[in-house]
Amino acid sequence: MTLREKIESNRFILCGEIGPPQSCDGDFIREKSRHFKGFVDAVNITDNQTAIAKLSSIASAKILLDEGVEPIMQMTCRDRNRLAIQSDLMGAAALGLRNVLCLTGDYQTFGDHPEAKGVFDLDSIQLIAAVAKMNSGFLLSGREMKKPSEFLIGAAANPFAEPFEMRLIRLYKKVNAGARFIQTQPVFDLETFSRWMEKVVEMGLAEKAAILAGVMPPKSAKTLLIMKAEVPGVKINEEYIQRMKNARDPKEEGVKMAVEIIRTLKQMKGVRGIHLMPVLWESITPVIVKEAGLNNA
Amino acid sequence: MPMDLATLNKPPITARERKFSRLILFFEDLVKVPLFRCQRCGECILSSTAFICCQRCPKRLRNGPCGGTGEDGSCEVFPERKCVWYKIYYRSKWLHRISLLYKVNKIHNWNLERTSTWLNVFKKRIDAPILFVRNDKQKVKDLIVDDAQREN
Repeated sequence: MTLREKIESNRFILCGEIGPPQSCDGDFIREKSRHFKGFVDAVNITDNQTAIAKLSSIASAKILLDEGVEPIMQMTCRDRNRLAIQSDLMGAAALGLRNVLCLTGDYQTFGDHPEAKGVFDLDSIQLIAAVAKMNSGFLLSGREMKKPSEFLIGAAANPFAEPFEMRLIRLYKKVNAGARFIQTQPVFDLETFSRWMEKVVEMGLAEKAAILAGVMPPKSAKTLLIMKAEVPGVKINEEYIQRMKNARDPKEEGVKMAVEIIRTLKQMKGVRGIHLMPVLWESITPVIVKEAGLNNA
Repeated sequence: MPMDLATLNKPPITARERKFSRLILFFEDLVKVPLFRCQRCGECILSSTAFICCQRCPKRLRNGPCGGTGEDGSCEVFPERKCVWYKIYYRSKWLHRISLLYKVNKIHNWNLERTSTWLNVFKKRIDAPILFVRNDKQKVKDLIVDDAQREN
């Protein structure tokens, strides 16, 4: 079953995430894919995340596909104008990739090439609309394609950034432009998230798009502190940081915390799946899947 | 049916019109630069962004803030600045123009960069500004309900 079929048949979805290496090593992806194969429904492949030049997301997604794991290719607007975006999407479709997550992209000064020119020809909402248009058989220029693409379109949402209502407006626009699944930033503040989720259900957006809540198992208290200080728009409850600081075995505590958060999210109305982001800690995925009782795939 | 967001180059700008456009732009700048800190994108959406120029955003986003707005509303790229969309949201609320934020703005036509918006509106290349919004709250409600019904 493909991710599209699983979403359409209302199954509880579990996604993973792999960040490609900053080298030409394709085996890196193959190795990491082993931690996910048989445990999750699909795996995100990041596209030069935090504006650091990495192995391309299309190539990595193809490697993953050949390994038998369904990839979700991320596509950002920072590095490509509308010509490159459409050409890359056509290429990806020809390689057999079926899922695309549309993002605006982190600003270039956060990465390792801060002198770069950011493109931002489209924004994430316009990108979603562009992919939807390609799915219907037309390019942005209005020219018809002989063979249309068949992408399942995803988008991201950040329930924790300000202003709260503006986040819902953005989500509304994304879903109406054609997004069929939404991945959120990692949840470390269940109270804000449930408030956001309530509104999403009220607006009828949870029926049109599958909301996949982000979960990140922290490796240590330091990970959380770095995230709080350096990743913009992330909210972390003080309670979680204290728990990690006081834990005798921070790794075990991190897994326990992630499992706890997953269990709470699963009970929440409108949450259709989990997006697991074990950053630099992919090997923990099977443990979390087992402990949280999410036997998928 | 997917949204059509591409503004195509119609009618094309002739060399003569470009000259004329520059003349008008001179006067347009006298008003819009000091008042709105206009960035001269030539495809003005000031009326749907509560009269704050959204092109001041480092990413030049036309459809709302990126995910990096800080808790105090600071911009992720230049923390000493306020996120321009944060300002737009609060001013929209104050002016009762929230319903306009639900509208998806088109992909920017870079050929219009540094041309006169007034002339572009007159030539029907871009949409005319929306000056008055009535019953803003009701409009937002209708948008959401309408959409739910359209799906069913």
